[in-house]
Amino acid sequence: MNKPQATPGTDGGTGWCQIRIRGHLDQRWTSWFDGLTVTHDGDGTTLLQGPVADQAALHGLLTKVRDMGLPLVSVTHQSPERSE
Amino acid sequence: MSTTLLETKLFLPQPRHGLVPRARLRERLHQGLAAKLMLVSAPAGFGKTTLLVDWMAAVSESPDTGTATAWLSLDTGDNDPATYWTYVIAALRTVAPDVGTAALGLLQEPQPPPFQTVLTSLLNDLGAADLDLVLLLDDYHVIDSLEVQAGMAFLLDHLPPRLHLVIASRADPPLPLPRMRARGDLVEVRAADLRFTPDEAAAYLNDAMGLQLTPEDVTALEGRTEGWIAALQLAALSMAGRDDVATFIAGFAGDDRYVVDYLVEEVLQRQPEHVRTFLLQTSVLDRMNGPLCDAVTGQDGSRAMLEALDRDNLFLVPLDDRRQWYRYHHLFADVLQARLLDEQPERVGQLHRLASDWYERNGDRAAAIRHAMAAGDFAGAAVLIELAIPALRRDRREATLRGWLEELPDDVLWARPVLCNNLAGARMSTGTFEGVEALLDEAERWLATHVGATDDAVADQEEFLRLPAEIAVHRAGLALVSGDLEATVTFARQALEVALPDDHLARGAASALRGLAAWTRGDLELAHASYAGCLVDFERIGHVSDVLGCSITLADIQVAQGRLGTAMRTYEQALDLASQQGTPGLRGTVDMYVGLAALHREFDDLPAARRYLMRSRELGEHTDLPQNAYRWRMVMARVCEAEGDVEAANDLLVEAERLYEGDFSPNVRPVPAVRARAWIRQGRVQDALNWAGQQGLHATDDLSYLHEFEHVTLARALMARHALESDQPSLDQALELLGRLLRAAEDGNRQGSVLEIRVAQALAHQMRGDLPRALASLEGALSVAEPEGYVRTFVDEGAPMAALLAEAAGGGMASPYVRRLRAALGATPDRTPAASTPAVLVDPLSVREREVLRLLGTELSGPEIARELVVSLNTVRTHTKNVYMKLGVNNRRAALRRARELDLL
Repeated sequence: MNKPQATPGTDGGTGWCQIRIRGHLDQRWTSWFDGLTVTHDGDGTTLLQGPVADQAALHGLLTKVRDMGLPLVSVTHQSPERSE
Repeated sequence: MSTTLLETKLFLPQPRHGLVPRARLRERLHQGLAAKLMLVSAPAGFGKTTLLVDWMAAVSESPDTGTATAWLSLDTGDNDPATYWTYVIAALRTVAPDVGTAALGLLQEPQPPPFQTVLTSLLNDLGAADLDLVLLLDDYHVIDSLEVQAGMAFLLDHLPPRLHLVIASRADPPLPLPRMRARGDLVEVRAADLRFTPDEAAAYLNDAMGLQLTPEDVTALEGRTEGWIAALQLAALSMAGRDDVATFIAGFAGDDRYVVDYLVEEVLQRQPEHVRTFLLQTSVLDRMNGPLCDAVTGQDGSRAMLEALDRDNLFLVPLDDRRQWYRYHHLFADVLQARLLDEQPERVGQLHRLASDWYERNGDRAAAIRHAMAAGDFAGAAVLIELAIPALRRDRREATLRGWLEELPDDVLWARPVLCNNLAGARMSTGTFEGVEALLDEAERWLATHVGATDDAVADQEEFLRLPAEIAVHRAGLALVSGDLEATVTFARQALEVALPDDHLARGAASALRGLAAWTRGDLELAHASYAGCLVDFERIGHVSDVLGCSITLADIQVAQGRLGTAMRTYEQALDLASQQGTPGLRGTVDMYVGLAALHREFDDLPAARRYLMRSRELGEHTDLPQNAYRWRMVMARVCEAEGDVEAANDLLVEAERLYEGDFSPNVRPVPAVRARAWIRQGRVQDALNWAGQQGLHATDDLSYLHEFEHVTLARALMARHALESDQPSLDQALELLGRLLRAAEDGNRQGSVLEIRVAQALAHQMRGDLPRALASLEGALSVAEPEGYVRTFVDEGAPMAALLAEAAGGGMASPYVRRLRAALGATPDRTPAASTPAVLVDPLSVREREVLRLLGTELSGPEIARELVVSLNTVRTHTKNVYMKLGVNNRRAALRRARELDLL
């Protein structure tokens, strides 16, 4: 079943996530990943980054990464309290 | 509806042609039959399902293993524990049709027991079934419900040796895997095992797909895809029919793109436009058949299209053997959906909307609701959910209902009073009370500001008409939880006033709540009337388990009222009703037997009491209510004590105290107070006085029904102190307290209490040497006791009561009833501590050993004893050996002789 789209940041505070995966992911996946930007790096990895509402939304994104069989390299998440 | 079983979930997919034989993995799986759990854990597209389908077909075809295989494909809807376990049982029943009948019955009860109880019943069936069984759970990663996971851990802990579990998942399940690994209970197949080796890649591309590739080509493809099977499949599809295979491989191998992006692009480019459109539009469906695809795409001929896709290997997985239902391979579906979302974001909602309409027209409301939610059409989803409520309530799918309702935006929810009220109810029945009051307020506010139902706010007129009563019932429940008895009664009464005449559910619930509150407040008349009323309502709507639960309470009240005969009829009627049901061992049944045992003990029919207790135990632990564990021991303790086995009684009371589990019912006979009374009878006066001190009980306390039993116990402790120390003030205090207790009991018309207090009074007057008053109290007690046939209340008092009854018989009260009591007293061995000085065992017998010892004293053979105790012969032998050892003997006759010397028999 298609999951309903997350509504990022409606409660004011949003965090920022960076998900790095192996391989170059097509730009057209942006909508699928709730608007995260897709950047290709020279080392053959792709950086998905953008705002996420909370930890639950982050886990939703990681589930999508898992379900596509994308090899995960790293994940960072900055919660709104900690961002400068 | 959500509870219609989807056969496609239980369908064991057929092995596809053109498979690469994977002997090494098959072998690993075969070895797995020696372990409890096989875990196939790898990302999407690693061939987990294919491997398992192939292996299970081999297992079920192989004549020598004789192993049956059951399959279940999970989806997100299975996070409702009731749904999950219903499907698991349905899967098992495809190969073992008799398994899980009782468990399914429990799941369908109006108030299902904890899942542990359901699983225990299922495990018993599986343990008894004479077959080897493999249960495979595919796509287990969709399960995130903690309750389901806890149930799975329990299942694994108690798995019968001939049942094997296979879990296929994209993520390791939260089960105790390290522990299982260490014990050799786990066999794993992981991504590294599943990747195609170069040889397998060659076999697949050249033999199965007929591609005639060079070894270099194969190596290039295997390296680029890292043996990822889904990618190799896509690559093979892209190459089929191409002249320039070498160019394709070179281009692919030299590219950095995500392999699936690259290959799907290749595959889609080679499809005609109408096929591409079809693939994209139907990608929103998690399963599809011809008519559904027609509805979603707005085209005819979808069925032929699906068959063509199936033929061309375009990632279609058949979900049944008639080739009607299919789904896309998950990975392929994700890619298609992502493209659709990117290219035509506005279409996604429309497609889901069309799917929702089709499912609603075709009777699968759960799917219709999920697609409406996915379409973002929450208003439409809300209407569908409201229409689904009666069926969800009937099937106890509160967790599903709650999940859906909590997904709705607040403004949609608050505009629909039926949904607000039902979310309140679903939360309460799943143990959450947060926000419940606000939801009820919202529903009531709507009712107050509108006249009658409006089309935009109410979909189900009947549910709407039930609202006022339901809201009041929910408020009464909320008040009870917060301990506000007055408000509970008020709301319950209000519910009864506004409930429709045929709304038995609301009426029964309101009556039960009012009864509970009234009982707690000591208003036994109202409590009795309420419980009697709710029994009628619950029986009318077939909530038999509720009838049994309320019967326990009703009988308790009747006993407090001194109406033993009526209480007996209450238990018997409940048992009659239970026996008319199809499901054996209905929950609450065994509690009726415990109640009957208590009554027969009072009638001094100890063998009957013991029989009922044994019957209760035989029926098994999964048919009882949580309170049964301590109630059973309380009654058994009194039976043992009456039989003269004080130690067994004490052990049982200690266990009862440990196992005590409260519910909303008032704790009118606390286990510690019951123990204190036992101490008094055994001469442990100081222990009893200490108990009273710890409870903060005083002879001058204000009295309430809730503490009546404890205050009577205090009076008995004071009397015992007087007997020990000739301490006059204690006796005066006891008499004064008993006098006040008697007036309170008479005011509340609690004849059972009146009897107990009058007996104590008679003995207290006797201690003081005031025979006329003692006889007057005794006469009062006898007049209450005779019509109901009380015996043990007198007999348990031993020698002082015998003396008093002798005086009574000599003083003009020589009725047949008094003669009967005197005879019973004469026949009872005097167990007062002063009179007996039994030698004691260094290592006392356990309760079970004592039961075995008692049966050794009968004519029964070993196997017969085993049957009597419902244990194996080996267990009986072990107990017997222990008994012999502790008694220092080596045969049955010597054991019995020694036991008699030690007063153990």
